Amino acid sequence: MLIDQFPPAFTFILAAIVLLAVPQGRARGALSLIVPIVAALQVWNYDTGIYNQVEFFGFTLELMRVDKLSTIFGLIFCLAAFLGNLFAWHVRDSVQQVAALLYAGAAIGAVFAGDLITLFIYWEGTAIASVFLIWARRTEGAYHTGLRYLLIQIGSGVILLAGVVLCYRETGSITFTKMTLGTLATWLIFIAFGIKCAFPLLHNWLQDSYPAATVTGTVILSAFTTKLAVYALARGFPGTELLIYIGAVMTVFPVFFAEIENDLRRVLAYSLNNQLGFMVVGVGIGTEMSLNGTASHAFAHILYKALLFMSVGAVLFRTGTSKASELGGLYRTMPLTTVFCLVGAASISAFPLFSGFVTKSLILDATASNHYTLVWIMLLFASAGVLSHSGIKIPFFTFFAHDSGMRPKEAPFHMLLAMGITAFLCIFIGVYPDPLYALLPYEVEFHPYTVGHVIGQLQLLLFALLAFGVLMRTGIHPPEIRAINLDSDWVYRRMLPKFIGSIAFAVTAFWALQTKFWMHRVDGVIARLYKSHGPEGRIAQVWPTGSMVLWIAILLGATLLVNFV
Amino acid sequence: MSAGSATATLTLAQHLPVLQVVVPLLAAPLCVLLGSRKLVWPLAFIASAITFLIATLLLMKVLDGSVISYHIGGWAPPLGIEYRIDAANAFVLFLVSGISTIVLLYAREYVAAIIPPASQLLFYACFLLCLTGLLGVAATGDAFNTFVFLEISSLSTYVLIAMGAGRDKRALTAAFDYLIMGTIGATFFVIGIGLLYMATGTLNMADLSDRISDMGDNRTVRAAFAFIVVGMGLKVAIYPLHLWLPNAYTHAPSVVTAFLAATATKVAIYVLMRFMFSVFQPGFVFETYTLEFVILPFAILAMFAASIVAVFQTNLKRMLAYSSIAQIGYMLLGISFITKTGLTAAIIHLFNHGITKGALFMAVGAYVLRTGNSFLDRLEGLGKAMPWTSAAFVIGGLSLIGVPGTAGFISKWVLITAAIEKGWWLVAVLIVASSLLAVIYIWKVIEVLYMREVPDGAHHQEVPGSMLVPIWILALSSIYFGFDTSLTMSAANTAADSLLSGF
Amino acid sequence: MAKKIKDNPQNYPWLGRVFLWVDQPGSATKLFGGLAVVCLMLGLADFLYEKHGHFTFENLPAFYGLFGFVAFSCVIFGAKALRELIKRPEDFYAPHVIDTEEYPEDELEKVAHDAD
Repeated sequence: MLIDQFPPAFTFILAAIVLLAVPQGRARGALSLIVPIVAALQVWNYDTGIYNQVEFFGFTLELMRVDKLSTIFGLIFCLAAFLGNLFAWHVRDSVQQVAALLYAGAAIGAVFAGDLITLFIYWEGTAIASVFLIWARRTEGAYHTGLRYLLIQIGSGVILLAGVVLCYRETGSITFTKMTLGTLATWLIFIAFGIKCAFPLLHNWLQDSYPAATVTGTVILSAFTTKLAVYALARGFPGTELLIYIGAVMTVFPVFFAEIENDLRRVLAYSLNNQLGFMVVGVGIGTEMSLNGTASHAFAHILYKALLFMSVGAVLFRTGTSKASELGGLYRTMPLTTVFCLVGAASISAFPLFSGFVTKSLILDATASNHYTLVWIMLLFASAGVLSHSGIKIPFFTFFAHDSGMRPKEAPFHMLLAMGITAFLCIFIGVYPDPLYALLPYEVEFHPYTVGHVIGQLQLLLFALLAFGVLMRTGIHPPEIRAINLDSDWVYRRMLPKFIGSIAFAVTAFWALQTKFWMHRVDGVIARLYKSHGPEGRIAQVWPTGSMVLWIAILLGATLLVNFV
Repeated sequence: MSAGSATATLTLAQHLPVLQVVVPLLAAPLCVLLGSRKLVWPLAFIASAITFLIATLLLMKVLDGSVISYHIGGWAPPLGIEYRIDAANAFVLFLVSGISTIVLLYAREYVAAIIPPASQLLFYACFLLCLTGLLGVAATGDAFNTFVFLEISSLSTYVLIAMGAGRDKRALTAAFDYLIMGTIGATFFVIGIGLLYMATGTLNMADLSDRISDMGDNRTVRAAFAFIVVGMGLKVAIYPLHLWLPNAYTHAPSVVTAFLAATATKVAIYVLMRFMFSVFQPGFVFETYTLEFVILPFAILAMFAASIVAVFQTNLKRMLAYSSIAQIGYMLLGISFITKTGLTAAIIHLFNHGITKGALFMAVGAYVLRTGNSFLDRLEGLGKAMPWTSAAFVIGGLSLIGVPGTAGFISKWVLITAAIEKGWWLVAVLIVASSLLAVIYIWKVIEVLYMREVPDGAHHQEVPGSMLVPIWILALSSIYFGFDTSLTMSAANTAADSLLSGF
Repeated sequence: MAKKIKDNPQNYPWLGRVFLWVDQPGSATKLFGGLAVVCLMLGLADFLYEKHGHFTFENLPAFYGLFGFVAFSCVIFGAKALRELIKRPEDFYAPHVIDTEEYPEDELEKVAHDAD
């Protein structure tokens, strides 16, 4: 393996091991900042092509399949890892430090996987590494949430594996390339991607788990898993029409849930779900322009979503809560965090001059030019909806609104630096999108800053803002209250346990009778086994030489008998 | 000048097959003649390292399926003695010399601490002789030569086992039992060869193979086959001919156990395979019957009975010894399939189990060095006191169970594939079921190491680095070969091919 | 956390003091009024250039603005209705849920802004 062909995923994994040998403190922090930079340079220096082919059980694994689509995801993952680790500079917890590196490494490895087996291995890798970012909170609640998360993520991997095996049986190939829905194999792979991508009704792990991670863990979680799934869809199922409708539903329904959710990090998780919808629509349309839209929107989205999670994380870090009902008026003493949060909010709402504007337009325009009228209207509706929770609710109820009386100190310097860099990038992309466009998988012929676009978007957003003003002044806008809202997780957190509980009761009663009967017997068997196989037993005994010779004779006799009969 | 040195290297390269055996054979008496306890270890180690180097070179040469035929003293076979190196025995040579080198690395501290100073020179001499014997058995293409080297390795093994007497007098009875048993086995083997010679008039294996297949089977050939299988079966420790093994492994010094467990039975299995598939052809009905009605049932019996015994053991070393018997069952099972995949499974398990058991027994040796013996109740809480040794033990244990990502998984996987290929679903299920027994006994150890509190007043230190390094080399290789199967799979595949193609 | 009693705005960071303007009486009305004016101007701007959208209805004057207003209102009313349906107490799934737990203190650095 040549040094310039060393897979960036291995760089992360290697660094995670080295990290443990480095003493806790600044050296570790520095290492976890250097690693993403090194990996990004590696990604940058790769030419298009397939590298690092490995033989495994007669399969040829392609550890590095480099083209423009994988490169842009690889780069943004490195960037996200850098920013996340910078935000987590203060963390002195080996579990989180190692998990963050392994998680990023697995995600990058999956992006460059040229075959389905490599994809599967890294796919499970992201699941296992990331759960530690949740468990690192070290509370009972986080533990149980982590278990649910892990179960679903591993489940996605298992379904993927089943699909891969069937796919191999059908086609004889494990190459990870464009597929067409139809066979059971492709459906399984599709569903596996769908779980990780948080398709409607398969989505709830996202809102369940992200608020349960640590302050810094959520920032890191928000970047990888779902965008990996978007990448996998863009690679495997571009142009699948079903995805357009799934994506459209995905953009709309979380809007309502986000609006009434109290935990701001869960609001952001819903909003993440909604943004994924735009990307999924882009994949579903499958034209060059829409895939460009998906890739660029994923890029921009990782940045502004990280920025929003960082700002809420900084508030949680200083106040101990991320519940809207408890917060408010923090702009007084955390003005810089406020500004960064506003930048993130403007970016996700796609205000002109912010990153969301130059990327989301690609998808909306692709939808319109392919005449998906209904879908287009849904996306437009969702765009206004984004403003309601991510654009207004997050900054307004955290930093403005009624004064909670909290006067926390401004976020520590490294957090401000991480937020500052991210905010700068959000604006930079918005103002000057050409470098991002140059990274996209296909040639871009799109100009976001036309008069019609800018005025149309401003109208949409500012009129929506006006509506907010009206509703606030009339008191119709729902207040923030301490409560939770049911979602599809109710099915497996309440309904199934109850259902199973009642069945279990019936079974238990029957079982108790059975067990009594059988245990009696099993005890007997074990006692007899111990008698014959135990240290004092006949079979384990150190027999005298004579009996050994007897056995030889018996075996020779048996062999001869078999031979001659 | 340059031309001369070119010829010299050329000839040296040509002589590799015999050098493989001659280097340790010459080094063994040198150990005693040298008379220095300081120099003996480097000498033994270097000799072993050279054999490893030679074995690696040989393996590289024959990995493409070619065969090296070396004529001792320039006498052409079938009259002269021939050394035949193909992928099958090159792979075994690679394993044996590799393990011996790693075990010798480990041996320096261990021998200095455990073996009485007066016997240390003798220890290394015997070790090298044993190595010579094992390498010779693997390298030779002559049936009688096999017997000679088998005796060399056996006799030195008896001595090595008896060296455990310094700590535990039972080592003497164990060695004596093994001596009686081993001699009977060797006698059976030599009787079998004698019968073959009577029937064919030759001792060269390739020649034997030709003549047997020309002549077809007759009573002499059948009897010869039965004697060879049973005689070698004793060396292999086929259940129920395993009775010498638990005592020998338990009471021998751990360094010897590690070496023997990883190599001696493996070489015997190689000989068994060589005779079954190359000298005699699997086409013979009597051979198929023997494999199906004798070897197969006893292999499955071994997988279960030996594992269950292992579960109930209170002595870690004895537990692992019984586990070895069960693992040998897997290899014999692979052989009894008489298919290429089955044979591949047997060969790859032979290698993977060799490195895994090597690591495990060396880790046990570390415990013995610190606590005085290997009873489970003496190991309580050692996971914290000896973290490196224990972590290596856990890795080895996982590989023994066959957890994915370890070498043990690969061999079980191939074995199950072979069973399914034959349509023997029940056997495949039995393989998985017996692996669960391994989970039980390995878990018992992990529980003792990590979940129990250290008894009061016990202070145990980690063993020195020179012992940890070899343990970890094998532990890490049992992970490495769980991921990168290119070397082991291609070697086992080619080996299976060359065994099945006869000569 | 510092109580409101000894709260001295002079100790806020300067940017925080700048922001204080929004909480002054009348500021909210000014903001709202300003926003209304900007919206009006944006709506009128639609008459100044030629629209060529993909759909004909896109070319209606102030289409985006009206759509935005209506959509936002729909979201709020929809969400209010949804809340009636699915709101549950915070301890609905308790025990072992993060919603009722305090965030572990040792992970945080809760410092008041005027702490030394």
